[in-house]
Amino acid sequence: MEESIVSFKAKGNELILVMREEDDFDRILESLGRKLDSSGRFFRGASLDVRYRGKKLNEEQERIISEMIAEKAAAEIVSFSEDEDHPEQDDPRDHEEPGRTRDKLRMKLLYFRGLEEGMTKFHRGTVRSGTLVSYEGNVVILGDVNPGGEVVAAGNVVVMGSLRGLVHAGADGNKEAIVAALSLQPTQLRIADVITRPPDSGEQKQGILPEIAFVKDDMVYIETFLPQYK
Amino acid sequence: MSEVIVITSGKGGVGKTTSTANIGTGLALSGSKTVLIDTDIGLRNLDVVMGLENRIVYDLVDVVEGNCRVKQALIKDKRFDGLYLIPAAQTRDKTAVKPEQMIRLCDELREEFDYVLIDCPAGIEQGFRNAIAAADRAIVVTTPEVSAVRDADRIIGLLEANEVRNPKLLINRLRADMVKRGDMMSIDDIIDILAIGLIGVIPDDEKIVVSTNRGEPAICDSKSLAGQAFRNVVRRIKGEEVPFMSFSEDQGFVMKLKKLFGLKAN
Repeated sequence: MEESIVSFKAKGNELILVMREEDDFDRILESLGRKLDSSGRFFRGASLDVRYRGKKLNEEQERIISEMIAEKAAAEIVSFSEDEDHPEQDDPRDHEEPGRTRDKLRMKLLYFRGLEEGMTKFHRGTVRSGTLVSYEGNVVILGDVNPGGEVVAAGNVVVMGSLRGLVHAGADGNKEAIVAALSLQPTQLRIADVITRPPDSGEQKQGILPEIAFVKDDMVYIETFLPQYK
Repeated sequence: MSEVIVITSGKGGVGKTTSTANIGTGLALSGSKTVLIDTDIGLRNLDVVMGLENRIVYDLVDVVEGNCRVKQALIKDKRFDGLYLIPAAQTRDKTAVKPEQMIRLCDELREEFDYVLIDCPAGIEQGFRNAIAAADRAIVVTTPEVSAVRDADRIIGLLEANEVRNPKLLINRLRADMVKRGDMMSIDDIIDILAIGLIGVIPDDEKIVVSTNRGEPAICDSKSLAGQAFRNVVRRIKGEEVPFMSFSEDQGFVMKLKKLFGLKAN
């Protein structure tokens, strides 16, 4: 499938670009563009040494790809060259799970660190079913999040209203991220790679008390948020 | 021998999703390994009706885009063994899936399941084409309303044009008292127009609303008339000859009671 035309691997600050040899350049470029649109944000702000494997590129093509990565992923390209010491490039098993490679990368290297002080998106209004609010930073929703609505943030999520939809804080791997809401009744709550859902008993929470959810020892804890006791 | 069955209607709100949930549950209860696929991307409902919404991690779009393996997207039902759901994505649209991808997915699921039920979105656009792409059989749901029957007719034509042979008709939300007064189309009126085989008639039942809101299919409720009708549909899908329930007589309380006892006996 398409996944295999271009795939990424990361090692420290080194990004390895694996391209299928038999595909022509335009196809690779198109596929790379799509891939960068969907996952390029994980490299944001990083300084990358890019190596490529598989397809042989001429200087002009190297320049086009390098510029594309720099632009779409907002990363600084320190160097761009062919990777020579990896003869196992043609083994498809090697890059069978691009998602996993990306997960590792996300968890270890480049996750959003601006939880205390960093980029924040303010969303005014209700996040309705089918709407996705996602941001590479903290998110504040000035309104409710309805069931079927999704909020995905690299940092913290604060909802000034009822949170009834799906929420994912620390989406690129930061387990320090928190979710806070005036009324916290999410369909599903995720922080980094920890996923929880409310119990099936289905009892409705009565009264509104602000609550805060955080991760400790890979478990999500939910506490009433009472600032006066801090 | 596994089968892919699409449940479709053309018109919205006639009960495709409710039917899918009930028939799927019934098939699983009768011992067949069943998977339900919601193809209504962007307006997903089946997960809510099944009460599985909060378990969704991966969805149909993740599967066809290769972000996860099929196994990872299968949500096991909380009550019944052998019942699984692949939910639709909510924040994408119908164009995220192509008919060829549905065929590939269904072929993979055929290996493991006895029945693959596809919940089709309303309309005749991309979502419909995705839903019917892999189907061996189709169940067309309609209500006894002129507009719903008109759309069902169009759908049957489209199914035939797409080589889905011999679709079956499921009449939903029939009210015997209204038919008797002549205020509602009767079963015969509908079959006259559509000229396809009947697979079931579901009476209008308040319990459906209750069970839908609770996320528990009505088929589990032994007291519900609609539940009984769905159990009959399931038996017919599995090839049994089951007589149709009669709704023609007076639906007084005593009659209902008698009928329930009579039905329970068989």
